[in-house]
Amino acid sequence: MSQQAEQTELARSADQPDAGSAGLAGSASHGSPATVSSPARTRLTRRRRIRPARIVMFVTMIAVAVVMLYPLLYIVMTSFKSEVQYELGGGFSLASWRILVSSQPILRELLNSLIVSSCAVALIVVISTAAGFAFAKIRYRGRTLVFVLVVACMFVPLPSIVIPEYVNVSRFGVLDTYWGAIAVYAALGIPFSIFLMTTYFRGLSDDLIEAASIDGVSMWKMWWRLGVPLARPAMFTVAVLQFIQIWNDLLVGLLFLQNINDRTVTVGLALLSSGRVTSIPVLMAGSVMSIIPPIIVYLIFQRHLVRGITMGMGK
Amino acid sequence: MSSSGRAGRMPAGLSMRPASPFRLAGGSGRNWGRSQRGAARAGWVLSLPALAGVAALLVLPIGQAFYYSMTTWNGITSTWVGPDAYLQLFEDPTFLRVLENNGLLLLAMPVVIAIPLGIAFLLHEQIAGWKFFRSAVFLPTAISWVVIGVIAVRFYALHGILNSMLSAVGLGFIKTNMLGSTHEALAALAITLIWSQLGTNTIIFITGLAALDPSLAEAARVDGAGPLTVYRRVIIPQMIRFIQFAFIITVLTAFTAIFSLIFVMTGGGPDYGSTTLEFYVYQQAFSESAFGTGALLGVLLFVIVAGISVVQVRVLRARI
Repeated sequence: MSQQAEQTELARSADQPDAGSAGLAGSASHGSPATVSSPARTRLTRRRRIRPARIVMFVTMIAVAVVMLYPLLYIVMTSFKSEVQYELGGGFSLASWRILVSSQPILRELLNSLIVSSCAVALIVVISTAAGFAFAKIRYRGRTLVFVLVVACMFVPLPSIVIPEYVNVSRFGVLDTYWGAIAVYAALGIPFSIFLMTTYFRGLSDDLIEAASIDGVSMWKMWWRLGVPLARPAMFTVAVLQFIQIWNDLLVGLLFLQNINDRTVTVGLALLSSGRVTSIPVLMAGSVMSIIPPIIVYLIFQRHLVRGITMGMGK
Repeated sequence: MSSSGRAGRMPAGLSMRPASPFRLAGGSGRNWGRSQRGAARAGWVLSLPALAGVAALLVLPIGQAFYYSMTTWNGITSTWVGPDAYLQLFEDPTFLRVLENNGLLLLAMPVVIAIPLGIAFLLHEQIAGWKFFRSAVFLPTAISWVVIGVIAVRFYALHGILNSMLSAVGLGFIKTNMLGSTHEALAALAITLIWSQLGTNTIIFITGLAALDPSLAEAARVDGAGPLTVYRRVIIPQMIRFIQFAFIITVLTAFTAIFSLIFVMTGGGPDYGSTTLEFYVYQQAFSESAFGTGALLGVLLFVIVAGISVVQVRVLRARI
């Protein structure tokens, strides 16, 4: 048995030398017989049979997918029930959605979230693209020190600084304004984003920049004309990562945007959930509402999100 | 995806050294000096917004927190206590309880590494529908802790999903109420944390597997090693740095980023049973108006995180 397993393993590794190469999905992948030598071909023929191990693996992944997706299905289904239907089990209605929209400032909260996250993301992208270019492509005294200082701040946890931050933001009179929250979010996002941008810029060749500098182009123009356009993919990655993070944050919103008119949807939902009398289907409708924007961003930009995480592992 | 492959080949962790500095290949004579000065100015100006923002909003507050931590301050009157404040804290049984909770959360770490490793192996085998499965596993990454908490409360509630699942399989007599129990609330929190981190760690491990040198595993197979031996003896050792990275990321998340989950699921209770250090900061400062103690807890959290990060960088450097 082990010999057969060994042969099929061998055949597979001959078949798919690079796992990253585009999907030979499943066990029914076909090697091209014309290109393989005859012993390999017999192995390939054997490989066409669906092995029991593959079935076990597939079933396991189905179970995993159910565990991951069922909670989401649950909130969507529950949101389409009225309070009574939820208690009794059956039926669907829009009652809870109507109650949500009429009893909660949910649309206003969504707008607040959108304003705060977009402004903070815009700030982060501009600042990190500038600094990343400087750290990776311009040589000047003090560069390493500044880079280390800024990037090391990646490890400053929000809970450690939230009290002084709160004091400072109130001293500047921007408590309960968008500006206070935007500034704090931007500062929290900048170190990691700069790390990503610097990593990205270092990966780009210096040739273009060297050629341009021989032609006497200033560093400014190089940043704006060469750096920024070339960095577009990394800018997307930074924007997607930060948007999801800021949209989903609770603590900053909870403390810095306390007015009911300014609060973000995540804060509104957390307060709704802590209310004792809140109807569960209404709460679920609110949850669905609040995850729609980040899920859309996720579905469209999944690739960028994944790249952000893997780039975070560093160079 | 070329870039993920590129990132994957590189050692995990921070390199603090900027790569080969770009040399200005400017023309001859005085023109050269001028353009270098211009470049230096541009470098400073481009990095200044970042430096200013980080200094004002991250570095300064850490200094302030350190100062506040040695005071007793209820928001109105502040008294200087000095370093004794730290010693007093360690006599507080609630604080020790909270520290213990942080320690207990670490018990979830083997699970949060092992399950994603398994999922990553399966996805790496490119079973049918692996792209769909990958998206499904990764999806919770886009969902806020608040919503995850809202769902978790429904899951663990007395009339919730867990109990109806138990009774459906004939175990109805168990009737758990994990969130209402001092000891089980933390376990419920940990399980939710595991669920939400599966995606991130799976992605890290998939990247790692894609970056492996396939010839080693192949050589082992030729030598007659079975699939399990190949995984245990060849693949896992090569994955160590990715496992380490996932471990650090998850510990940092568990210690510093689940405030909202605790807020929604348990409010830290019952009886501080599910309060971690980061939540205790909030409770002390914004519920008890003990800003000095809150700041002190924050400083301790910072020290813990800094310690973990330094170890991370050290270990990886040593390995490289």
